[in-house]
Amino acid sequence: MDKVRVLDVGLVSPLRSQAIYHGIAYAMKPDTPDTIILVGPTDPYVCIGYHQELEKEVDVAYCQEQDLPVYRREVGGGAVYLDKGQVFTQWIFQRGHLPATLEKRFALYIQPLVDTYQALGIDATLRPINDVHVRGKKIGGTGAAQIGDADVVVGSLMFDFNFELMARVLKVPSEKMRDKIYQSLQEYMTTMTRELGYTPDYDEVKQLYLEQCEKALGVDVYLDEPTEEEIKITEEVEARLGSDEWLHQKGGLRQTSAVKIHADVYLVESAYKAPGGLIRATARLREGRIDDLTLSGDFTMLPAFAVGALEQALRGLTLDEDAIRSKVGEFYRALSVQSPGVGVDDWVQAIMRLKV
Amino acid sequence: MVVYFGCDIPEDLYYHPKYDSWVRFEDDETATLGMTDIAQTQAGKLIHIRFKRPGRKIRAGKFAATIESGKWIGPFVVPFDAEILATNEETFKKDILIANKDPYGEGWLIKVRVLDPKHARDGLLTGQDAVAFFQKKIEENGIRCFRCVDEAEET
Repeated sequence: MDKVRVLDVGLVSPLRSQAIYHGIAYAMKPDTPDTIILVGPTDPYVCIGYHQELEKEVDVAYCQEQDLPVYRREVGGGAVYLDKGQVFTQWIFQRGHLPATLEKRFALYIQPLVDTYQALGIDATLRPINDVHVRGKKIGGTGAAQIGDADVVVGSLMFDFNFELMARVLKVPSEKMRDKIYQSLQEYMTTMTRELGYTPDYDEVKQLYLEQCEKALGVDVYLDEPTEEEIKITEEVEARLGSDEWLHQKGGLRQTSAVKIHADVYLVESAYKAPGGLIRATARLREGRIDDLTLSGDFTMLPAFAVGALEQALRGLTLDEDAIRSKVGEFYRALSVQSPGVGVDDWVQAIMRLKV
Repeated sequence: MVVYFGCDIPEDLYYHPKYDSWVRFEDDETATLGMTDIAQTQAGKLIHIRFKRPGRKIRAGKFAATIESGKWIGPFVVPFDAEILATNEETFKKDILIANKDPYGEGWLIKVRVLDPKHARDGLLTGQDAVAFFQKKIEENGIRCFRCVDEAEET
Protein backbone atom coordinates (compact mmCIF):
# COMPACT_ATOMS: atom_id res chain seq x y z
CA MET A 1 0.00 0.00 0.00
CA ASP A 2 1.38 3.41 -1.00
CA LYS A 3 0.12 6.66 0.41
CA VAL A 4 -3.58 6.89 1.17
CA ARG A 5 -5.58 9.66 -0.46
CA VAL A 6 -7.94 11.73 1.67
CA LEU A 7 -10.96 13.44 0.19
CA ASP A 8 -12.21 15.88 2.80
CA VAL A 9 -15.32 17.03 0.97
CA GLY A 10 -16.87 18.89 3.90
CA LEU A 11 -20.61 19.40 4.04
CA VAL A 12 -22.52 18.28 0.95
CA SER A 13 -26.15 17.51 0.13
CA PRO A 14 -27.63 14.49 1.92
CA LEU A 15 -27.72 12.57 -1.35
CA ARG A 16 -24.08 13.38 -2.16
CA SER A 17 -22.99 12.31 1.34
CA GLN A 18 -24.13 8.78 0.45
CA ALA A 19 -23.39 8.80 -3.28
CA ILE A 20 -19.78 9.93 -2.93
CA TYR A 21 -18.38 6.68 -1.54
CA HIS A 22 -20.39 4.59 -3.98
CA GLY A 23 -19.08 6.77 -6.80
CA ILE A 24 -15.44 6.55 -5.71
CA ALA A 25 -15.84 2.77 -5.33
CA TYR A 26 -17.47 2.25 -8.72
CA ALA A 27 -14.82 4.45 -10.35
CA MET A 28 -11.99 2.44 -8.83
CA LYS A 29 -9.38 1.24 -11.30
CA PRO A 30 -6.25 -0.79 -10.57
CA ASP A 31 -4.19 2.41 -10.22
CA THR A 32 -6.69 4.32 -8.04
CA PRO A 33 -5.19 5.06 -4.63
CA ASP A 34 -6.80 3.69 -1.49
CA THR A 35 -9.03 6.49 -0.29
CA ILE A 36 -10.51 7.84 2.92
CA ILE A 37 -13.47 10.20 2.53
CA LEU A 38 -14.53 12.61 5.26
CA VAL A 39 -17.99 14.00 4.60
CA GLY A 40 -21.11 15.23 6.33
CA PRO A 41 -24.60 16.28 5.17
CA THR A 42 -25.75 19.90 5.10
CA ASP A 43 -29.25 18.79 6.15
CA PRO A 44 -30.75 15.86 8.01
CA TYR A 45 -31.99 12.74 6.23
CA VAL A 46 -32.86 9.12 6.77
CA CYS A 47 -30.78 6.34 5.28
CA ILE A 48 -31.97 2.74 4.93
CA GLY A 49 -29.97 -0.47 4.47
CA TYR A 50 -29.57 -2.12 1.07
CA HIS A 51 -32.09 -4.90 1.64
CA GLN A 52 -34.63 -3.09 3.75
CA GLU A 53 -38.17 -2.42 2.62
CA LEU A 54 -38.84 1.30 2.96
CA GLU A 55 -42.48 1.12 4.05
CA LYS A 56 -41.74 -1.50 6.69
CA GLU A 57 -38.84 0.35 8.26
CA VAL A 58 -39.50 4.06 8.02
CA ASP A 59 -42.47 6.25 8.97
CA VAL A 60 -42.65 7.65 5.44
CA ALA A 61 -45.59 9.98 6.17
CA TYR A 62 -43.69 11.61 9.01
CA CYS A 63 -40.57 12.05 6.87
CA GLN A 64 -42.63 13.64 4.10
CA GLU A 65 -44.28 16.02 6.57
CA GLN A 66 -40.88 17.05 7.88
CA ASP A 67 -39.25 17.26 4.43
CA LEU A 68 -36.77 14.63 5.46
CA PRO A 69 -35.38 12.83 2.41
CA VAL A 70 -34.87 9.07 2.58
CA TYR A 71 -32.12 7.28 0.64
CA ARG A 72 -31.16 3.65 0.28
CA ARG A 73 -27.44 2.88 0.54
CA GLU A 74 -25.56 -0.10 -0.91
CA VAL A 75 -24.35 -1.05 2.55
CA GLY A 76 -26.35 -3.28 4.86
CA GLY A 77 -27.77 -2.69 8.30
CA GLY A 78 -30.76 -0.73 9.49
CA ALA A 79 -32.49 2.59 8.99
CA VAL A 80 -30.71 5.52 10.58
CA TYR A 81 -31.32 9.23 11.04
CA LEU A 82 -28.27 11.27 10.04
CA ASP A 83 -27.35 14.92 10.26
CA LYS A 84 -24.44 17.35 10.73
CA GLY A 85 -23.68 15.75 14.09
CA GLN A 86 -21.74 12.99 12.36
CA VAL A 87 -18.71 13.14 10.10
CA PHE A 88 -18.76 9.98 7.98
CA THR A 89 -15.40 8.25 7.66
CA GLN A 90 -15.57 6.16 4.50
CA TRP A 91 -12.72 3.88 3.46
CA ILE A 92 -12.61 2.81 -0.18
CA PHE A 93 -9.72 0.45 -0.69
CA GLN A 94 -8.43 -1.79 -3.44
CA ARG A 95 -9.49 -5.38 -2.85
CA GLY A 96 -6.70 -7.22 -1.08
CA HIS A 97 -5.34 -4.09 0.62
CA LEU A 98 -7.44 -4.51 3.76
CA PRO A 99 -7.30 -7.66 5.92
CA ALA A 100 -9.20 -10.57 4.37
CA THR A 101 -11.12 -11.53 7.51
CA LEU A 102 -13.89 -9.14 8.50
CA GLU A 103 -12.89 -9.26 12.13
CA LYS A 104 -9.40 -7.95 11.34
CA ARG A 105 -10.71 -5.53 8.72
CA PHE A 106 -13.08 -3.91 11.23
CA ALA A 107 -10.38 -3.90 13.92
CA LEU A 108 -8.09 -1.93 11.59
CA TYR A 109 -10.85 0.44 10.53
CA ILE A 110 -11.96 1.07 14.10
CA GLN A 111 -8.48 1.58 15.57
CA PRO A 112 -8.12 5.24 14.46
CA LEU A 113 -11.65 6.00 15.65
CA VAL A 114 -10.84 4.57 19.08
CA ASP A 115 -7.49 6.37 19.18
CA THR A 116 -9.12 9.66 18.22
CA TYR A 117 -11.72 9.36 20.95
CA GLN A 118 -9.05 8.40 23.46
CA ALA A 119 -6.89 11.36 22.49
CA LEU A 120 -9.90 13.53 23.30
CA GLY A 121 -10.15 11.90 26.72
CA ILE A 122 -13.06 9.57 25.89
CA ASP A 123 -12.64 6.03 27.14
CA ALA A 124 -13.50 4.30 23.84
CA THR A 125 -12.66 0.68 23.01
CA LEU A 126 -13.27 -1.74 20.15
CA ARG A 127 -16.20 -3.97 20.97
CA PRO A 128 -15.66 -6.82 18.49
CA ILE A 129 -16.64 -7.34 15.80
CA ASN A 130 -17.55 -3.88 14.59
CA ASP A 131 -18.70 -1.54 17.34
CA VAL A 132 -16.97 1.23 19.26
CA HIS A 133 -18.04 1.37 22.88
CA VAL A 134 -17.56 3.80 25.73
CA ARG A 135 -18.19 1.90 28.97
CA GLY A 136 -20.89 -0.27 27.41
CA LYS A 137 -22.43 2.49 25.29
CA LYS A 138 -22.08 2.52 21.54
CA ILE A 139 -20.56 5.58 19.89
CA GLY A 140 -21.47 5.11 16.22
CA GLY A 141 -21.83 2.07 14.01
CA THR A 142 -19.80 0.64 11.17
CA GLY A 143 -20.51 -1.47 8.10
CA ALA A 144 -18.58 -3.22 5.35
CA ALA A 145 -19.38 -3.84 1.72
CA GLN A 146 -17.96 -4.78 -1.61
CA ILE A 147 -18.98 -2.10 -4.08
CA GLY A 148 -17.76 -2.59 -7.62
CA ASP A 149 -14.15 -3.73 -7.32
CA ALA A 150 -13.55 -1.92 -4.04
CA ASP A 151 -13.70 -3.02 -0.43
CA VAL A 152 -15.61 -0.38 1.50
CA VAL A 153 -15.88 0.19 5.24
CA VAL A 154 -18.04 3.01 6.57
CA GLY A 155 -18.62 4.55 9.96
CA SER A 156 -18.53 7.95 11.58
CA LEU A 157 -17.00 10.31 14.06
CA MET A 158 -19.96 10.82 16.37
CA PHE A 159 -20.00 14.44 17.44
CA ASP A 160 -23.68 14.47 18.29
CA PHE A 161 -26.79 12.41 17.62
CA ASN A 162 -30.50 13.17 17.67
CA PHE A 163 -31.91 10.29 19.72
CA GLU A 164 -35.45 11.59 19.59
CA LEU A 165 -35.65 11.90 15.81
CA MET A 166 -33.89 8.55 15.37
CA ALA A 167 -36.71 6.90 17.35
CA ARG A 168 -39.31 9.06 15.59
CA VAL A 169 -38.49 8.21 11.97
CA LEU A 170 -38.68 4.45 12.44
CA LYS A 171 -41.83 2.57 11.58
CA VAL A 172 -42.71 0.68 14.73
CA PRO A 173 -45.64 -1.55 15.65
CA SER A 174 -46.63 0.57 18.66
CA GLU A 175 -45.80 3.82 20.40
CA LYS A 176 -44.74 1.72 23.37
CA MET A 177 -42.03 0.21 21.19
CA ARG A 178 -41.00 3.71 20.07
CA ASP A 179 -40.68 4.87 23.69
CA LYS A 180 -38.54 1.87 24.47
CA ILE A 181 -36.32 2.51 21.46
CA TYR A 182 -35.85 6.10 22.58
CA GLN A 183 -35.08 5.10 26.18
CA SER A 184 -32.66 2.43 25.00
CA LEU A 185 -30.86 4.79 22.64
CA GLN A 186 -30.46 7.19 25.57
CA GLU A 187 -29.19 4.43 27.78
CA TYR A 188 -26.98 2.52 25.35
CA MET A 189 -25.62 5.13 22.93
CA THR A 190 -23.36 8.08 23.46
CA THR A 191 -21.62 10.87 21.55
CA MET A 192 -18.57 13.09 21.89
CA THR A 193 -20.79 15.93 23.08
CA ARG A 194 -22.29 13.78 25.81
CA GLU A 195 -18.97 12.41 26.97
CA LEU A 196 -17.11 15.71 26.97
CA GLY A 197 -19.91 18.10 27.92
CA TYR A 198 -19.15 20.18 24.82
CA THR A 199 -18.85 19.65 21.06
CA PRO A 200 -15.19 19.53 20.03
CA ASP A 201 -13.98 21.47 17.00
CA TYR A 202 -14.71 19.50 13.82
CA ASP A 203 -11.47 20.41 12.03
CA GLU A 204 -9.32 19.53 15.02
CA VAL A 205 -11.00 16.15 15.42
CA LYS A 206 -10.70 15.39 11.71
CA GLN A 207 -7.00 16.27 11.81
CA LEU A 208 -6.54 14.07 14.84
CA TYR A 209 -8.37 11.24 13.09
CA LEU A 210 -6.17 11.44 10.01
CA GLU A 211 -3.05 11.29 12.18
CA GLN A 212 -4.43 8.16 13.83
CA CYS A 213 -5.18 6.68 10.38
CA GLU A 214 -1.53 7.18 9.39
CA LYS A 215 -0.48 5.38 12.55
CA ALA A 216 -2.90 2.47 12.16
CA LEU A 217 -2.23 1.97 8.44
CA GLY A 218 1.51 2.66 8.69
CA VAL A 219 1.39 5.01 5.68
CA ASP A 220 1.18 8.73 5.06
CA VAL A 221 -2.07 10.29 3.92
CA TYR A 222 -2.40 13.24 1.55
CA LEU A 223 -5.29 15.57 0.83
CA ASP A 224 -6.66 15.55 -2.69
CA GLU A 225 -9.77 16.20 -4.76
CA PRO A 226 -11.94 13.63 -6.55
CA THR A 227 -11.08 13.26 -10.25
CA GLU A 228 -13.50 14.38 -12.96
CA GLU A 229 -14.29 10.77 -13.71
CA GLU A 230 -15.08 10.10 -10.05
CA ILE A 231 -17.40 13.11 -9.90
CA LYS A 232 -19.13 11.95 -13.07
CA ILE A 233 -19.73 8.47 -11.67
CA THR A 234 -20.86 9.93 -8.33
CA GLU A 235 -23.45 11.98 -10.24
CA GLU A 236 -24.63 8.83 -12.00
CA VAL A 237 -24.94 7.10 -8.63
CA GLU A 238 -26.91 10.10 -7.35
CA ALA A 239 -29.42 9.68 -10.16
CA ARG A 240 -29.92 6.07 -9.15
CA LEU A 241 -29.92 6.51 -5.35
CA GLY A 242 -32.33 9.41 -5.78
CA SER A 243 -34.82 7.48 -7.91
CA ASP A 244 -38.15 6.25 -6.57
CA GLU A 245 -37.63 2.89 -8.19
CA TRP A 246 -34.43 2.32 -6.22
CA LEU A 247 -35.90 3.62 -2.96
CA HIS A 248 -39.01 1.45 -3.15
CA GLN A 249 -37.14 -1.66 -4.23
CA LYS A 250 -38.44 -4.85 -2.66
CA GLY A 251 -37.47 -8.47 -2.63
CA GLY A 252 -34.90 -8.93 0.11
CA LEU A 253 -35.59 -11.85 2.39
CA ARG A 254 -35.89 -9.96 5.63
CA GLN A 255 -35.70 -12.28 8.59
CA THR A 256 -36.03 -10.12 11.69
CA SER A 257 -38.13 -7.26 12.92
CA ALA A 258 -35.82 -6.58 15.87
CA VAL A 259 -34.35 -3.10 16.30
CA LYS A 260 -30.67 -3.34 17.09
CA ILE A 261 -29.40 -0.72 19.53
CA HIS A 262 -25.94 -2.21 19.73
CA ALA A 263 -24.21 -5.58 19.58
CA ASP A 264 -25.66 -6.74 22.90
CA VAL A 265 -28.97 -4.89 22.98
CA TYR A 266 -32.06 -5.50 20.83
CA LEU A 267 -35.65 -4.31 21.04
CA VAL A 268 -38.29 -6.75 19.97
CA GLU A 269 -42.05 -6.91 19.91
CA SER A 270 -44.36 -9.87 19.43
CA ALA A 271 -48.09 -10.35 19.16
CA TYR A 272 -49.89 -13.57 19.97
CA LYS A 273 -53.61 -14.24 19.74
CA ALA A 274 -54.72 -16.30 22.71
CA PRO A 275 -58.35 -17.47 23.01
CA GLY A 276 -58.89 -14.85 25.74
CA GLY A 277 -57.40 -11.95 23.81
CA LEU A 278 -54.33 -10.54 22.10
CA ILE A 279 -51.04 -10.51 24.02
CA ARG A 280 -48.47 -7.97 22.92
CA ALA A 281 -44.98 -8.28 24.40
CA THR A 282 -42.37 -5.51 24.00
CA ALA A 283 -38.95 -6.38 25.32
CA ARG A 284 -35.39 -5.26 25.47
CA LEU A 285 -32.99 -8.19 25.21
CA ARG A 286 -29.52 -7.69 26.61
CA GLU A 287 -27.02 -10.43 25.82
CA GLY A 288 -29.98 -12.72 25.11
CA ARG A 289 -31.73 -12.08 28.43
CA ILE A 290 -34.97 -10.16 29.03
CA ASP A 291 -33.69 -6.85 30.34
CA ASP A 292 -37.00 -5.02 30.25
CA LEU A 293 -40.49 -6.24 29.38
CA THR A 294 -43.92 -4.70 28.87
CA LEU A 295 -47.02 -6.85 28.41
CA SER A 296 -50.21 -5.39 27.03
CA GLY A 297 -53.29 -6.41 25.07
CA ASP A 298 -57.00 -6.91 25.49
CA PHE A 299 -56.87 -9.91 27.84
CA THR A 300 -58.20 -9.85 31.41
CA MET A 301 -55.92 -10.72 34.29
CA LEU A 302 -56.59 -10.71 38.03
CA PRO A 303 -55.43 -9.59 40.53
CA ALA A 304 -54.95 -6.19 38.92
CA PHE A 305 -51.25 -5.97 39.70
CA ALA A 306 -50.54 -9.36 38.14
CA VAL A 307 -49.47 -8.04 34.72
CA GLY A 308 -46.78 -5.80 36.22
CA ALA A 309 -45.69 -8.58 38.52
CA LEU A 310 -45.39 -11.02 35.60
CA GLU A 311 -43.27 -8.49 33.70
CA GLN A 312 -40.98 -8.31 36.73
CA ALA A 313 -40.90 -12.06 37.20
CA LEU A 314 -39.69 -12.68 33.65
CA ARG A 315 -36.83 -10.18 33.73
CA GLY A 316 -33.39 -11.71 33.68
CA LEU A 317 -34.56 -14.91 31.96
CA THR A 318 -33.16 -16.12 28.65
CA LEU A 319 -35.67 -17.05 25.95
CA ASP A 320 -35.64 -20.68 26.90
CA GLU A 321 -39.05 -22.29 26.57
CA ASP A 322 -38.75 -24.54 29.63
CA ALA A 323 -37.44 -21.74 31.86
CA ILE A 324 -40.25 -19.39 30.77
CA ARG A 325 -42.92 -22.08 31.26
CA SER A 326 -41.63 -22.94 34.70
CA LYS A 327 -41.49 -19.28 35.77
CA VAL A 328 -44.98 -18.43 34.46
CA GLY A 329 -46.43 -21.61 36.05
CA GLU A 330 -44.86 -20.76 39.39
CA PHE A 331 -46.20 -17.20 39.09
CA TYR A 332 -49.75 -18.40 38.38
CA ARG A 333 -49.67 -20.73 41.39
CA ALA A 334 -48.10 -18.22 43.79
CA LEU A 335 -50.54 -15.39 43.03
CA SER A 336 -53.59 -17.53 42.19
CA VAL A 337 -53.79 -15.64 38.93
CA GLN A 338 -57.01 -15.76 36.93
CA SER A 339 -56.93 -14.92 33.22
CA PRO A 340 -59.88 -16.36 31.29
CA GLY A 341 -58.81 -17.78 27.94
CA VAL A 342 -55.13 -17.04 28.55
CA GLY A 343 -53.09 -19.84 30.06
CA VAL A 344 -49.47 -20.51 30.88
CA ASP A 345 -48.84 -21.88 27.38
CA ASP A 346 -50.18 -18.71 25.78
CA TRP A 347 -47.66 -16.61 27.70
CA VAL A 348 -44.90 -19.00 26.69
CA GLN A 349 -45.93 -18.67 23.03
CA ALA A 350 -46.04 -14.86 23.22
CA ILE A 351 -42.67 -14.59 24.95
CA MET A 352 -40.91 -17.14 22.73
CA ARG A 353 -41.94 -15.10 19.68
CA LEU A 354 -39.56 -12.44 20.92
CA LYS A 355 -36.62 -14.59 19.89
CA VAL A 356 -34.37 -12.61 17.52
CA MET B 1 -12.73 -33.70 -0.35
CA VAL B 2 -9.94 -31.69 1.27
CA VAL B 3 -10.71 -30.01 4.59
CA TYR B 4 -8.15 -27.40 5.62
CA PHE B 5 -8.54 -25.47 8.89
CA GLY B 6 -12.21 -26.38 8.82
CA CYS B 7 -12.69 -25.18 5.23
CA ASP B 8 -14.07 -27.73 2.77
CA ILE B 9 -12.53 -27.55 -0.69
CA PRO B 10 -14.29 -30.12 -2.91
CA GLU B 11 -11.82 -30.96 -5.66
CA ASP B 12 -14.45 -31.73 -8.29
CA LEU B 13 -15.75 -28.15 -8.34
CA TYR B 14 -14.43 -25.13 -10.21
CA TYR B 15 -13.67 -21.92 -8.32
CA HIS B 16 -13.16 -18.29 -9.10
CA PRO B 17 -10.20 -17.20 -6.99
CA LYS B 18 -11.29 -13.58 -6.64
CA TYR B 19 -15.03 -13.95 -6.21
CA ASP B 20 -14.89 -16.90 -3.77
CA SER B 21 -17.61 -18.65 -5.72
CA TRP B 22 -17.85 -22.28 -6.83
CA VAL B 23 -19.19 -23.70 -10.07
CA ARG B 24 -20.45 -27.21 -10.75
CA PHE B 25 -20.71 -27.82 -14.48
CA GLU B 26 -23.69 -30.17 -14.83
CA ASP B 27 -23.12 -30.66 -18.54
CA ASP B 28 -21.72 -28.53 -21.37
CA GLU B 29 -24.46 -25.95 -21.12
CA THR B 30 -25.66 -25.77 -17.54
CA ALA B 31 -23.97 -25.08 -14.23
CA THR B 32 -24.81 -24.55 -10.56
CA LEU B 33 -23.06 -21.83 -8.57
CA GLY B 34 -22.73 -20.97 -4.90
CA MET B 35 -20.59 -19.44 -2.16
CA THR B 36 -17.47 -21.29 -1.01
CA ASP B 37 -17.03 -22.38 2.59
CA ILE B 38 -14.52 -19.54 2.99
CA ALA B 39 -17.00 -17.04 1.55
CA GLN B 40 -19.86 -18.07 3.85
CA THR B 41 -17.52 -18.06 6.85
CA GLN B 42 -16.11 -14.64 6.03
CA ALA B 43 -19.52 -13.11 5.45
CA GLY B 44 -20.94 -14.65 8.62
CA LYS B 45 -24.61 -15.45 9.16
CA LEU B 46 -26.65 -14.24 6.21
CA ILE B 47 -29.61 -12.01 6.95
CA HIS B 48 -30.79 -11.04 3.47
CA ILE B 49 -30.30 -12.16 -0.09
CA ARG B 50 -31.83 -10.75 -3.23
CA PHE B 51 -31.69 -12.63 -6.51
CA LYS B 52 -31.98 -11.38 -10.04
CA ARG B 53 -34.84 -13.15 -11.82
CA PRO B 54 -34.54 -16.30 -13.94
CA GLY B 55 -34.22 -15.34 -17.59
CA ARG B 56 -31.80 -12.51 -16.85
CA LYS B 57 -28.55 -12.65 -18.77
CA ILE B 58 -25.47 -11.84 -16.71
CA ARG B 59 -22.20 -10.77 -18.26
CA ALA B 60 -18.97 -12.22 -16.90
CA GLY B 61 -17.95 -10.30 -13.77
CA LYS B 62 -21.45 -8.97 -13.09
CA PHE B 63 -23.65 -10.07 -10.20
CA ALA B 64 -26.65 -12.37 -10.02
CA ALA B 65 -27.52 -11.72 -6.37
CA THR B 66 -26.66 -9.45 -3.48
CA ILE B 67 -25.80 -11.05 -0.19
CA GLU B 68 -26.02 -9.36 3.21
CA SER B 69 -24.74 -10.72 6.48
CA GLY B 70 -24.81 -9.00 9.84
CA LYS B 71 -21.45 -7.42 9.08
CA TRP B 72 -21.01 -7.22 5.32
CA ILE B 73 -22.79 -6.84 2.03
CA GLY B 74 -21.60 -7.70 -1.42
CA PRO B 75 -22.45 -9.02 -4.85
CA PHE B 76 -22.51 -12.67 -5.90
CA VAL B 77 -20.51 -12.47 -9.09
CA VAL B 78 -20.89 -14.83 -12.04
CA PRO B 79 -17.46 -15.51 -13.57
CA PHE B 80 -18.67 -16.16 -17.15
CA ASP B 81 -21.49 -15.05 -19.46
CA ALA B 82 -24.62 -16.84 -18.32
CA GLU B 83 -28.40 -16.80 -18.26
CA ILE B 84 -30.10 -17.48 -14.93
CA LEU B 85 -32.26 -20.60 -15.20
CA ALA B 86 -33.24 -20.88 -11.54
CA THR B 87 -32.46 -19.37 -8.16
CA ASN B 88 -32.55 -21.07 -4.78
CA GLU B 89 -34.77 -18.32 -3.35
CA GLU B 90 -37.42 -20.71 -2.02
CA THR B 91 -34.88 -22.58 0.10
CA PHE B 92 -33.39 -19.33 1.45
CA LYS B 93 -36.93 -18.15 2.26
CA LYS B 94 -37.37 -21.20 4.47
CA ASP B 95 -33.88 -21.00 5.94
CA ILE B 96 -31.75 -17.92 5.35
CA LEU B 97 -28.77 -19.73 6.92
CA ILE B 98 -28.79 -22.55 4.39
CA ALA B 99 -25.53 -21.39 2.71
CA ASN B 100 -23.95 -21.08 6.17
CA LYS B 101 -24.95 -24.70 6.84
CA ASP B 102 -24.43 -26.43 3.51
CA PRO B 103 -22.63 -24.12 1.05
CA TYR B 104 -21.92 -26.80 -1.57
CA GLY B 105 -25.25 -28.64 -1.33
CA GLU B 106 -28.65 -27.28 -0.29
CA GLY B 107 -27.18 -23.77 -0.06
CA TRP B 108 -26.49 -23.35 -3.79
CA LEU B 109 -27.45 -19.94 -5.19
CA ILE B 110 -28.21 -20.12 -8.88
CA LYS B 111 -28.42 -22.49 -11.81
CA VAL B 112 -27.41 -21.02 -15.15
CA ARG B 113 -27.18 -21.69 -18.84
CA VAL B 114 -23.56 -21.25 -19.86
CA LEU B 115 -23.56 -18.90 -22.84
CA ASP B 116 -19.99 -19.44 -23.98
CA PRO B 117 -19.10 -23.01 -22.92
CA LYS B 118 -15.74 -22.93 -24.69
CA HIS B 119 -14.40 -20.16 -22.47
CA ALA B 120 -16.45 -20.66 -19.30
CA ARG B 121 -13.62 -22.42 -17.47
CA ASP B 122 -11.06 -19.72 -18.30
CA GLY B 123 -9.73 -18.18 -15.13
CA LEU B 124 -11.30 -20.85 -12.90
CA LEU B 125 -9.34 -23.24 -10.70
CA THR B 126 -10.14 -26.88 -9.99
CA GLY B 127 -8.63 -30.02 -8.41
CA GLN B 128 -5.19 -29.70 -6.87
CA ASP B 129 -4.68 -26.18 -8.23
CA ALA B 130 -7.75 -25.00 -6.34
CA VAL B 131 -6.72 -26.80 -3.17
CA ALA B 132 -3.23 -25.27 -3.29
CA PHE B 133 -4.63 -21.80 -3.97
CA PHE B 134 -7.11 -21.89 -1.10
CA GLN B 135 -4.66 -23.48 1.34
CA LYS B 136 -2.30 -20.57 0.70
CA LYS B 137 -5.12 -18.05 1.12
CA ILE B 138 -6.26 -19.71 4.36
CA GLU B 139 -2.72 -19.68 5.77
CA GLU B 140 -1.88 -16.13 4.73
CA ASN B 141 -5.07 -14.70 6.17
CA GLY B 142 -5.47 -16.86 9.25
CA ILE B 143 -8.88 -18.07 8.03
CA ARG B 144 -10.79 -20.74 9.97
CA CYS B 145 -14.08 -21.99 8.58
CA PHE B 146 -17.23 -22.51 10.60
CA ARG B 147 -20.70 -23.73 9.69
CA CYS B 148 -24.03 -22.97 11.25
CA VAL B 149 -25.96 -25.97 12.54
CA ASP B 150 -29.61 -26.46 13.39
CA GLU B 151 -30.31 -26.06 17.10
CA ALA B 152 -31.43 -29.67 17.32
CA GLU B 153 -28.00 -30.75 16.05
CA GLU B 154 -26.15 -28.73 18.68
CA THR B 155 -27.13 -30.95 21.57
